[in-house]
Amino acid sequence: MSAALLIEDLVKKFATGKAAVDGVSFDVPAGEIVVLLGPSGCGKTTTLRCVAGLEHPTSGRISIGGRVVSEPERGVLVSPRERDIGMVFQSYAVWPHMTVHQNVAYPLKYRRKSKGSGGDINTKVRETLELVGLGEYAERPVTSLSGGQMQRVALARSLVYRPQLLLLDEPLSNLDSKLRIRLRDELRRILKMTGMTGLYVTHDQSEAVVLGDRIGVMRNGKLLQMAPPGEIYNRPADSFVANFTGASNVLLGKVLERKGEQAVIDLGAAGHIQAWTPQALVAGDKARVALRAENIRLGERGPANSFTGRVTERRYQGMQTIYDVEFGGQKVEVLELGTAARHNDGEVAITLPPETCWAYRDEGQPTAD
Amino acid sequence: MTATSAAALPVTTEAVRAPRRWAAPLWVSALLIILTFLVIYPLLMLFFGAISDSNPVIDGFGKFNPSLTHFIAVLGNENVRLAFFNALVACGGGSLLAVVIGLAFSWIVVRTNTPFKGFIAGASMVPLFVPPLVAGVAWSILGSPKTGLLNTALKWTGIDFRFDFYSMSGLILVFGFYYAPYVYMFTASALRNMDPSLEEASEVAGASAFTTLFTVTFPLIAPAILAGSLLSFVVMLGIYGVPAALGAPANISVLTTYIFKLTAWAPPLYNTAAAVAILLMMVTAILVWAQQRVLSGRSFATVAGKAFRPRSLNLGPWRWLTFSLALVYLFVVVVLPTVALVIAAFRRFLFFKDFQAVFDMKAYSWVHFNSIFDNPLTITSIWNTMKVGVITAVIGGVLAFAIGYTINRTQVGGRKSIDLLSTIPVAIPGLVVGVAYLWAWIGLPGGLYGTIWILALAFVARFIPDTVKALSTSFMQIHKELEEAAWICGRGLLSTIATIMVPLARPGIVASMTLLFVLAVRELGSSLFLYTSDTTVMAVLLLDYYEGGNIGKTAAFSLVQTVIIGVLLGITYWLSRGSAESTARAG
Repeated sequence: MSAALLIEDLVKKFATGKAAVDGVSFDVPAGEIVVLLGPSGCGKTTTLRCVAGLEHPTSGRISIGGRVVSEPERGVLVSPRERDIGMVFQSYAVWPHMTVHQNVAYPLKYRRKSKGSGGDINTKVRETLELVGLGEYAERPVTSLSGGQMQRVALARSLVYRPQLLLLDEPLSNLDSKLRIRLRDELRRILKMTGMTGLYVTHDQSEAVVLGDRIGVMRNGKLLQMAPPGEIYNRPADSFVANFTGASNVLLGKVLERKGEQAVIDLGAAGHIQAWTPQALVAGDKARVALRAENIRLGERGPANSFTGRVTERRYQGMQTIYDVEFGGQKVEVLELGTAARHNDGEVAITLPPETCWAYRDEGQPTAD
Repeated sequence: MTATSAAALPVTTEAVRAPRRWAAPLWVSALLIILTFLVIYPLLMLFFGAISDSNPVIDGFGKFNPSLTHFIAVLGNENVRLAFFNALVACGGGSLLAVVIGLAFSWIVVRTNTPFKGFIAGASMVPLFVPPLVAGVAWSILGSPKTGLLNTALKWTGIDFRFDFYSMSGLILVFGFYYAPYVYMFTASALRNMDPSLEEASEVAGASAFTTLFTVTFPLIAPAILAGSLLSFVVMLGIYGVPAALGAPANISVLTTYIFKLTAWAPPLYNTAAAVAILLMMVTAILVWAQQRVLSGRSFATVAGKAFRPRSLNLGPWRWLTFSLALVYLFVVVVLPTVALVIAAFRRFLFFKDFQAVFDMKAYSWVHFNSIFDNPLTITSIWNTMKVGVITAVIGGVLAFAIGYTINRTQVGGRKSIDLLSTIPVAIPGLVVGVAYLWAWIGLPGGLYGTIWILALAFVARFIPDTVKALSTSFMQIHKELEEAAWICGRGLLSTIATIMVPLARPGIVASMTLLFVLAVRELGSSLFLYTSDTTVMAVLLLDYYEGGNIGKTAAFSLVQTVIIGVLLGITYWLSRGSAESTARAG
């Protein structure tokens, strides 16, 4: 039922020059959910629309369940309706001139081959509406529903015919934040329950972490890293990934030496720092060290990367406190959890655990935001 | 601040405020009186005329024997029923054809990659500018059963088929061709504002492009389709020129031509005409009301505040088919009729022994033009038309400005009534306005009847809703704070209007007044009942030529009228562009 998705060297150029998707390759094994994460304009939605067949790729190959559905070099282009996929749109795209039931029954009515067509339309629609929690709303006109309920209708509509692949294009971004969190958790439950292969596009990292079995971070049409959420957060392969997922502290320095994946970076007046680096840096390279505010230990002297700093500002936020700390001309933000702010302005010991300091080649990149 | 000045303050406030208290009600009542005079009084007279059996010309003004039996007798009349039925068939068929054409065009322009879409979009609006009688005349030259140019061509090619546009189907075809833009305007904008993912969802769900079109796209823009077809129906219902040119030779009367026939009877049946006019007005009012309901209902297709990439279907080689469809349409509604008019106007005799004779240059001359300009009435009619146009534009423009400003920019009591009164004429066909003004003024001794002023006033009444609407749009673009700033600076209301509103709204004012001028120049329906031989206008004279049976003169005068309207439209465009540029610079 669910099928694997394979994308090889996908390129999509629009009429205006630059490639929106620039050589993206990845696969989604059957039953897995992959989330494409990135800022707006990174090419994630274009990738998704190419998989759906709503955009025509410039080159590369897309296969669903072992069948090539798009390969411009060989003139292969399967139309969206022949791809046996489901899709949930950002704007819901439920048809306002139909009831909930009519919306969900539509694909069953108009699909050419009703694959696995056991049971009649009404039973299937009822089952699917139960699944998304809209069992009692079948006869309502969709226009009388709230945004969250409309998105459930859209989900039911794309699940009802059990497609081999489900595509979701920022399905939660039009909802308010409370509803978004609730629907996010429920979405994962429903998708896992149906065992559907899913490709999900979002710019919201919390959605990506909760929903994805793996996350692919994209930028400027390129896929920077594709890995399980834990790895994206603890071993970002790229300074953009690190920054985009929240490692907002950056220390600039020079590589002194590198052993295995461990490097020693010279931070100038502040001294030396040990860092993990996925890139093959050599001595003398300029480096930027990224680290998350919540990984810095304040008031502790650890075995390595320990410095004496000075708190220049303290911002109490109730459940957490943010400190601006200066050490040797470097500035970092430190996050301390808990309702008590334990440190005052003035001198303080800080430790930057080496496994949470990630050094990347300094290419003078702008930050994500 | 000293105590004396503080004490003096209330006194001065009193002195300033005092005139304002009566100024606003006075202003509102003045506008209401003018509108009553222009709109309500003629309608009341029409109504009294419809339910009485007195003749205003013979019995004098104000003698009525009101009785509903007369009105009911008219409704029961066989000829009235036939005209009513014919009107419904012609306008219904025409609207259906207009929906097909308009919908096809909006889809081609908005949803496909057909080449030269901008050109197609522009060209599909051209029929709006063709005066109905000119279109009718052109198609009678092309499609009259015996001598029509199309039939001459068919005979020459040996095809055994003849067109007959002097028929109900001819009427429907010409209506459908020329009023399709009304449907197009509504459906094109609905398609443009539709979230493309609604259609994409259908395709992903497994429906074919064709199924998507009929189960998703068209149902979603159904309100727009309905509104457009109702509007085109209403417009066709009030048209006199096309059925006069094409229906009369085949003895097909619709409501408009029947009303005119009644007043041209000897003696004129003014009461019956008034009753049929009321009937026409009621049908129109119901349809206009229905159309407004459809439009005010919730629009399906719009999605809040999200800009979407326009969805354009790649038609592949089929895009040349859609392109040629557009060319065929343009050829049928613009090129063919123009060629027909030119040939008819310049040929001595509109008789061809074979098709080659069309190219016999010896048969062409300026003789018809010379003969129409030898007729003193021609110059009189052009001169009258210009006078009426200018008077209408000036009076209508000033009145519309006053009404538009009062409705949109003030809080005075009674502005709702002003709004209502100035909207009523939307539901009154031009011909009915003519009959109503006839009833209102013909019996009054020494009145307006017989002067060009009655024509101008009728036109002002007829076009006031369009003008107010056009002006209101340009008022809405001027931020209220611009005015408030002038008040704060110490300007009075009138001075603010003169120094802020008028200069800023100038492009809109110029455009509305020139629009009024053009509308007045081409108006036929209401002129029919209000002209005398001294006050004849171009549209009426053209009808005279046509009914006189001289196709050459008719065609020649059609061209003259078309050229004049074309030049006027050009000037309008140039004027409004010029003033728009000057404000853009100022802003």
